[in-house]
Amino acid sequence: MNNKKYALWHIPLILIGIIALLPVVFMISNSFKTLQESYQSILSLIPNKPTTINYTTLNHQVNLVHLIWNTFFMATIVTLGKLFTGLLAAYAFRYYQFKHKNLIYLLFVATIFVPFTIVMIPNYLVIAKLNLLNSVIGVALPQLCDATGIMIFLKTMEKIPGSLFDSLKIDDIPNRRIFFNIVLPIIKPSIISVGAMFFINSWNEYVWPTLILKDKSSFTLPLALQNYISSEGGTNFPLAMALSSIMIILPLIIYLIFQRYILNSISNSGLK
Amino acid sequence: MHNNKKFLPFIYLLPTGILLTIFMIIPIIYTFYLSFFDWNLIAPTKDFVGMKNYIEVFTDPVNQKVLLNTFFYIVLLLVLNFIIPYVISLIVKFFIKRMQGVYKIIFFIPSLFSLVVGAMIFSWLLNPVSGPVAFLFRQSGFVLPNWTNSGGLAIVVICLITNWKVFGYNFILLLTGLGSIPKNIIDASTVDRIPKWRMIWNVILPMNRSIAIYVLILTIVQGLQYAFTPINVITTGGPYYGSSNVLYHTYLNAFVLYRTGSASALAITTFIIFLVLLYLEIRFVEGRSRYE
Repeated sequence: MNNKKYALWHIPLILIGIIALLPVVFMISNSFKTLQESYQSILSLIPNKPTTINYTTLNHQVNLVHLIWNTFFMATIVTLGKLFTGLLAAYAFRYYQFKHKNLIYLLFVATIFVPFTIVMIPNYLVIAKLNLLNSVIGVALPQLCDATGIMIFLKTMEKIPGSLFDSLKIDDIPNRRIFFNIVLPIIKPSIISVGAMFFINSWNEYVWPTLILKDKSSFTLPLALQNYISSEGGTNFPLAMALSSIMIILPLIIYLIFQRYILNSISNSGLK
Repeated sequence: MHNNKKFLPFIYLLPTGILLTIFMIIPIIYTFYLSFFDWNLIAPTKDFVGMKNYIEVFTDPVNQKVLLNTFFYIVLLLVLNFIIPYVISLIVKFFIKRMQGVYKIIFFIPSLFSLVVGAMIFSWLLNPVSGPVAFLFRQSGFVLPNWTNSGGLAIVVICLITNWKVFGYNFILLLTGLGSIPKNIIDASTVDRIPKWRMIWNVILPMNRSIAIYVLILTIVQGLQYAFTPINVITTGGPYYGSSNVLYHTYLNAFVLYRTGSASALAITTFIIFLVLLYLEIRFVEGRSRYE
């Protein structure tokens, strides 16, 4: 009886799904067209004569392996750093009672509301002083902790019953062991999903790296891509789209593998 | 080896504490200090100028233009990245029965991609001369305006790019909030043959207030920062500062014009606006439990 009424509601949702995915499909398809064909048959989703010319041109112009490695290396350092600091901090909030606990926690959460513009000048000066300009280490160093991680980890740890901790305390199990052998295995799904999100965000990061990486040999993928986009027009889109297609492979693979975990942990990040 | 137990939690908090102190707390203080000086990032001396940089934030015509743009950005971001995902999450929750999981998975996909990729795709899609949208417009007798020549239209396009990226994320957060409303409350309010939209307006929206406010504030704070990438890639703030916002203008002052004083005053002003938002967040979200 009600099926017709419900079917209509799907129309806006399907439209949004198309808006979400169609640009990416276009992008991948155009990366296999010649420049000429991309102008001639704008709306065709399947190239007439699929060609890998854009990918080979790209490979001549930039050192793809080096670019991918740079980005991967940076994202890995950032991810490991954020996981390490976030897990330790969340454990302190979950397991201990201490003075000004709420205030300190609020201070951590407040860092989400600090605009990057307020720290960029001093941090740039510090990285320059440390001689880390044009190095992905310099990009990674100021970003090794993240309040979002602390929030999600704490919410996951709060689901572990307090009675478990009490019994461990009575048995006098050392803290290190509680943390590594008991808490970490229990919250493993959350570690995987938060880690995946950290990695993807760092892989895509643009603003802070543009300040630190001026030398083309130190570029990460987003900066290399920006080099192919000209704000005056005249961008060679099939070439830019080929580089973009390479850029999105890894985040997509990570998402396909951990999709369920990732969506769950986002749900946890906004809830009390 | 007997540790003082009082000391232990701080060992766990130490890594985060050290990093936050070096790369967040001291920088904020230093930026505050710089905002009272004229300095070009390189010179050995800084000139003390008192409140001049702050006065200029509000009196300099370019800054006024940028602040006005920022306000326009906030309004657009709220409509595109908060109100629309909220309406869609209500539709998914209360008006359809199947496919919820599929929509979640699909809507989230663009958030996996760099905003540089988003900026590139949309500058191709909406290219006024050679893009597919302009082509379709021409077929049906319309002309796609050259939006890069108009600050207002450029802001709309830039917000659309951020919308493409954050829509799925915000949608999932809001949907989760709706999912955590106790089922018996929803059942009780649907039993009395009240129209669904009244039930949503009178019962569901107030109950979902805390997560909605969290997403609303996040939309402003993150959205203005997300806009930075498409601005820098597509318009570099132009035409004549027409698509710049306060964060991009801060960057421009600091690293293009080398006016750290102006940049720092702008950054502190931005921070104060964000802190007011944070205060609201604490008032409404962190400070109270959900079902009171």
